[in-house]
Amino acid sequence: MTVFTVALKYLQGRFVASALTAFSIALGVSLVIASFLLTRGIKDGFIEGTTDYSLVVGAKGSPTQLVLNVLFRMDVATPNILYITYAQLQDDARVEVAVPVALGDAYQGLRYVATTDAYFAAFPWRRKSFTLAVGRFFRDDAPEQPTYEAVLGAATARRTGLRVGDQFYEGEEMAEYPLTVVGILRPTQSADDRAIFLSLASFWGMNEIARKMEVKPLTAVLVRPKRMSDLPSLHREFNIVAETQAVFPSVVLLNIFNLLGLAEEVLTMILGIVAIVVLLYLFVSMYSATLERKREIATMRALGARRTTILSIVLLESCAITAIGGIVGLLGGHGVAYFGAYILAARGGLVTHPFLISALQPLVLGSVILLGTLAGLLPAVLAYRTEVAENLAPFS
Amino acid sequence: MTHARLAVTLHGVKKSFPLGNGSNLEVLNIGQLALPAGSYTVLKGPSGSGKTTLLNLIAGVAVPTAGTIRVYDTEIFALPEPQRDRFRAQHIGYVFQTFNLLAAFSALENVMLAMLFTHAIPKRQQRQRAGELLSRLGLSMRLSHKPQHLSRGEQQRVAIARALANNPPLILADEPCASLDANTAREVLAAFLSVCREERKTLCIVSHDATVLDAADQILDMTDINRAGNRHNVT
Repeated sequence: MTVFTVALKYLQGRFVASALTAFSIALGVSLVIASFLLTRGIKDGFIEGTTDYSLVVGAKGSPTQLVLNVLFRMDVATPNILYITYAQLQDDARVEVAVPVALGDAYQGLRYVATTDAYFAAFPWRRKSFTLAVGRFFRDDAPEQPTYEAVLGAATARRTGLRVGDQFYEGEEMAEYPLTVVGILRPTQSADDRAIFLSLASFWGMNEIARKMEVKPLTAVLVRPKRMSDLPSLHREFNIVAETQAVFPSVVLLNIFNLLGLAEEVLTMILGIVAIVVLLYLFVSMYSATLERKREIATMRALGARRTTILSIVLLESCAITAIGGIVGLLGGHGVAYFGAYILAARGGLVTHPFLISALQPLVLGSVILLGTLAGLLPAVLAYRTEVAENLAPFS
Repeated sequence: MTHARLAVTLHGVKKSFPLGNGSNLEVLNIGQLALPAGSYTVLKGPSGSGKTTLLNLIAGVAVPTAGTIRVYDTEIFALPEPQRDRFRAQHIGYVFQTFNLLAAFSALENVMLAMLFTHAIPKRQQRQRAGELLSRLGLSMRLSHKPQHLSRGEQQRVAIARALANNPPLILADEPCASLDANTAREVLAAFLSVCREERKTLCIVSHDATVLDAADQILDMTDINRAGNRHNVT
């Protein structure tokens, strides 16, 4: 028998109270871990999704809405711009790459993204790379001869179960224009994993209004200039006209992060209060347990236990209960973050990584055990100071 | 009688408790008291005569206001508290009137617990010794039982085994059978006295039981040895 086993025996002895205390610690830790992982995941997800292109040109309106819609497939759709804007950018000497994007309806909640093969091209400055897991890319077909070929993002293929060669459509009105799967992409850890890519010609062919239009519609054009010094002039030119706006994704990202920062501050305050409440609960639990067992403490002292031994037993008890709560909380927090990431991906198209192991996990666990031990300090001192004779009642 | 043959000696021991009005209440005043090694001493006296206080002082769990207490030639209150605790664990076994077993621990663990506080028994032998002691006291079938699953007689036997766990030469027992029925008390006392006699322990027991008194080497009446002026309210 050791001092540690005595502490564990005491925890076992009041199993319900110990379990409830550990559970409350686990809840608090879960909340902290899940909040941090999701906040960091959201930030990382935004950064990964926006850094490839310097400029997004779309219809006049909210810049945030344009970036969220075009790059993350979030928020409501923005109005269209005309294909001529893309042609104009393609011919611009300052532009290295211009990629047209047209966003359409969805199949089982997964958005159609019409574009050209430039969207998947590997450029030296690109962080994201598109490779096929199976099949091939769709043909860059002529507007009058759409092939209705589709390339699926990895998550789309997993969720729909579609394979190369399968045909699909949603709604009776689309039965005339079924898309054929010709390729499936490897995961990119971005909103593109949840997209259905097709050629602009196929997109316009499927869309009744676009079919009738002479100058075809687009949602936006993603732009990479040859020189970064050309960015301000491009930005200005597309903003002074009435139909279009040019947006720096990084600026929008900064705005989003500012908003997130506010939410983070509020969240940190709430988490701080939760931590205080949990520690108070632990303190009260340990304090009342120590008061209840003053006679047992006096008995141990009468058997020869030193004051420091009694202090160690209470501190170890407090430490063990917070360690158990902390570890369960870490696991629970990752579970909640995983579920949160799934919801974010399903509803917002934002891909986050809830299982990234960093300094966060050991830091939170270490802090929880330290704070838990501190919460047990006063009860431990109370136990340390227990007077033997007066607690060995009854009087004779 | 020399010091070497004495288990316990008290010289001018006083114990007072402070009262709220600034004065003290003296509950114990013993000029001289000696318990020979290997003897069997019974302390008796009315309620409030200071019997438990005297045992607590000898055990070193209460501090005297004045005087010296020697246990096997060691002046226990000259020792710093941690050393006094260790001395107590090695040299003194204490049996309480209300058993004071730890509810979360089994009978075996309650006995082993006493061995945790000193190195008198090597770690590897602790479980075996605890089991043997409990078996000698007739509890071989109750080793894993928690106190609440034991009868009161069985609980007191566990408490006796715990007091003997570190093989201390001095055993103090504070009315060990006061809360037991007559038959159980007789059985428990017989087992207790038998073990103490076999192992030549020095036993100081507070009791009014005729069986205990009959077997004693010396009987000390607190009304004779305690010269405290006011000892009616507190022990």
